[in-house]
Amino acid sequence: MSRTMADDMASQYQMMEELGSGSFGTVYKAIDKSTGEIVAIKHIDLESSEDDIQEIQQEISVLATCASPYVTQYHASFLRGHKLWIVMEYLGGGSCLDLLKPGVFNEAHVAIVCQQLLQGLDYLHSEGKIHRDVKAANVLLSHTGKVKLGDFGVAAQLTNIKSQRNTFVGTPFWMAPEVIQQSGYDYKADIWSLGITAMEMINGEPPHANIHPMKVLFLIPKEPAPRLQGDGYSSAFKDFIAQCLTKDPDRRPSAKELLRHKFIRNAGKTEALQELIHRKQDWDGGRGVSRNVKYYAESLNTITHLKDDDGWVFDTVKAPTMVIREDSDVSDCGSIIHDPLYDESAEMMENLRISSPSAQQRYANGTAVRRAPPPADRSPSVRRPKRRSSGVKQPLGVDLTFGNSPSTVRQFRRVSDKSPTEDSFSSYQLNGDENASPKSLSTGTNNKEAQLGRRAYSKAVGHACQEVLGTTGDQEKREAISRLAEAWSDLEMVDPEGLYHILRATNEKLLSDPKLSSLVPQGPPPESPQRPRLVLAQNNPHLKSHKRRQSAVVAEPIPQPQLASSPTQSVPGMEHIKQLSDVLYGRWSEGLRNRWPGV
Amino acid sequence: MAFFFSRGRSRQPSDVVEDELAKQLSQMKVMVQGTQELDASTDQVHGLVQAMLQEDLLYELAVALHNLPFEARKDTQTIFSHILRFKPPQGNSPDPPVISYIVHNRPEIIIELCRGYEHSQSAMPCGTILREALKFDVIAAIILYDQSKEGEPAIRLTEVQPNVPQRGTGVFWRFFHWIDRGTFELSADAFTTFREILTRHKSLVTGYLATNFDYFFSQFNTFLVQSESYVTKRQSIKLLGEILLDRANYSVMMRYVESGENLKLCMKLLRDDRKMVQYEGFHVFKVFVANPDKSVAVQRILINNRDRLLKFLPKFLEDRTDDDQFTDEKSFLVRQIELLPKEPIEPSRSGREPSRSTANTTTVA
Repeated sequence: MSRTMADDMASQYQMMEELGSGSFGTVYKAIDKSTGEIVAIKHIDLESSEDDIQEIQQEISVLATCASPYVTQYHASFLRGHKLWIVMEYLGGGSCLDLLKPGVFNEAHVAIVCQQLLQGLDYLHSEGKIHRDVKAANVLLSHTGKVKLGDFGVAAQLTNIKSQRNTFVGTPFWMAPEVIQQSGYDYKADIWSLGITAMEMINGEPPHANIHPMKVLFLIPKEPAPRLQGDGYSSAFKDFIAQCLTKDPDRRPSAKELLRHKFIRNAGKTEALQELIHRKQDWDGGRGVSRNVKYYAESLNTITHLKDDDGWVFDTVKAPTMVIREDSDVSDCGSIIHDPLYDESAEMMENLRISSPSAQQRYANGTAVRRAPPPADRSPSVRRPKRRSSGVKQPLGVDLTFGNSPSTVRQFRRVSDKSPTEDSFSSYQLNGDENASPKSLSTGTNNKEAQLGRRAYSKAVGHACQEVLGTTGDQEKREAISRLAEAWSDLEMVDPEGLYHILRATNEKLLSDPKLSSLVPQGPPPESPQRPRLVLAQNNPHLKSHKRRQSAVVAEPIPQPQLASSPTQSVPGMEHIKQLSDVLYGRWSEGLRNRWPGV
Repeated sequence: MAFFFSRGRSRQPSDVVEDELAKQLSQMKVMVQGTQELDASTDQVHGLVQAMLQEDLLYELAVALHNLPFEARKDTQTIFSHILRFKPPQGNSPDPPVISYIVHNRPEIIIELCRGYEHSQSAMPCGTILREALKFDVIAAIILYDQSKEGEPAIRLTEVQPNVPQRGTGVFWRFFHWIDRGTFELSADAFTTFREILTRHKSLVTGYLATNFDYFFSQFNTFLVQSESYVTKRQSIKLLGEILLDRANYSVMMRYVESGENLKLCMKLLRDDRKMVQYEGFHVFKVFVANPDKSVAVQRILINNRDRLLKFLPKFLEDRTDDDQFTDEKSFLVRQIELLPKEPIEPSRSGREPSRSTANTTTVA
């Protein structure tokens, strides 16, 4: 029934061209046949998302409970196969980031946008919601110039209007200091981001745009708040920015208070923003930008089905002959979705070549941990040409035209919980490409070592510093230790791989010294019954790499195999595995050993 | 406080009454949650709670929620969530007074909130309120054990008989229907609440599943694991794995993996045409194979499919190259399947009891 129902709902819309693809999916323009209204429909491929579907539900529930002329209106959502369709209000003016492409805004335009945004934020905040990702890319305009907040991908609904959040989400350049410091923040964080957005609109980019996002995370809390410089701006505007960018959130005014600010009170009408829309259209025309229009194409029906749907023998009688089916492609089945519009691998190559020099990749991995700024685009507001004509695919597979920016930090898992390649690549480089297959993600040694480095920090170095600090009374010594701890922490964030190499080298040198080697504890005995990995068959294809890893344990300071399969480690979405280790291997280990003495 | 409730309690409010009601709900919301500038006054909230209980307003709101306008529904949700948590400053009971009141005097409120899933308008606010209430095991118990028909008084905790199997008519069993048949939003919200009921209060649920094992899993397998909806299917397989592998549900797991039918269902999931379904299915399948005391039925299916499995598993989701744990578990399963005897062997029961395995020679190495 649900299938039919979804088909009914889907057939209510006439799909048109693609508007853009961004975090979490592709957005299409469509017409609601029953009303003739133009809508935007976001398609999210749930198959390509390891994430808990609950996170997407969260986004929908925040949206669905918003009813304000200053917030993009949610219409409906439904499932179509493994794709989730979210139907939203269509905003034909594009995002403010789009509109910045021909040039910066003037003060009057900024005032109107800010005035509208403040009303949107005032609404959200009074509803106990925090947007957490206010930036020009997420400010959308209707063709008449109405301004609306969009992309609620990381928005939070507070159960209590006074409660605080700690989650590290947002986009680094626009993040309030208290968000970065993770000391608890509330709706005031959006006000800071609004101030940065105002500077973005007047300058074309946010402050620190030329600095690596990683570094920005240190600068924002440390440095004095950015100010608008220059004689060209009114004092009211400068003061407005200064008010928004008050570092102490308690002293930062609320949206309601800012609506009474002189700069805002004097703002003009939204119709004036049509100038920006027209300017953009002219600019596009003048550049001969012919939008390489992609039309929606149904891809659902092309899922490859198994040739033999009934591949198992469930008779009670033993099958006469064990016919070995040629099912070499079984594992791929279901994952191949032929979308005529995409050449998956070509796009992937393009992405990697254009946007990810290896140094950047390393940053990407380093940063996806918890502070996680985007690696890709150093100057976030710098406009890329839109889809270039035929053949050349867009870098990152992300089109910033529809309020979708690649750089939003979602609520990341810690890297130790998940493989780094998946985190960094799928969240950044590839998050715009819903057809991207994780199998094409490369695994560099960088990643592994960086991961080890981070783990070494979180499991060993950090704790060790704390322990020693805890047993040290002398103030001077304590300070020295905490400086060291901080340095480790910095290193962990900037270069976890380097951290790993330092530890590794230290360990090797300790081991090679006859007197010091006794200090280094040896790895766990290889025959721990807790570990399922030891039950490998001789002909197992993975045995080789397994052995390699096992022998690596001895040489490395960090027992590598533990990374992935320590029974105590929890992997989001894979909690069952942890529990399996717990329950099965723990409880039955004795029984297992009795049955298979080789274990 | 009574002036708040003097009007607007009709079930089918006219527009004027509806506006008035919406206005009062909005005022009550401000009273319980305060504003950004102004904290809520505890005394005022306390007075409001007293008045609401006296007027039975919570019940009325729960019943009428789907008839309220958009903002009033949201306000109702906020009011409910706040007063369910509210503890008077001088109170000394560990539970919030509204929770105690509901459990002892008005469990119908909870049942009506569940029935909010009958309407798309009330599904999400009711779900949010229910999940707030489900922080308390007594609320979960009411939902699990109530079997009242509409209009009948709901179950009191003293009437709960954990050892008597459910008839399958209670409100809890409606969740299968809501999850299976609802629109995406409704179904997803109902599932979130369903998961909360089944995973939050372990000892309660373990007893419940033990008594209602067959009916529960027949419903679960039929409506959820084999649902037409991709989301329901994927989420419920994952939940099944979570339930089975929860240490508290050890005996439930043993009973589940004894069944050949359950194994067949699970093996079909491995061949689903959507890889995330395959993946979630794997985490249930592995429990059957890892069980050292497989039933004859399970052994027979595995033995009959041994060659197919040995061919299938090494290539199963092989693009998960970064997933060492998955790869290891796959290898483990391959090994277990290779070690299967030629013919099924009666299981010894020793494995049923954790950590009480005597050396036995019935199984060959």
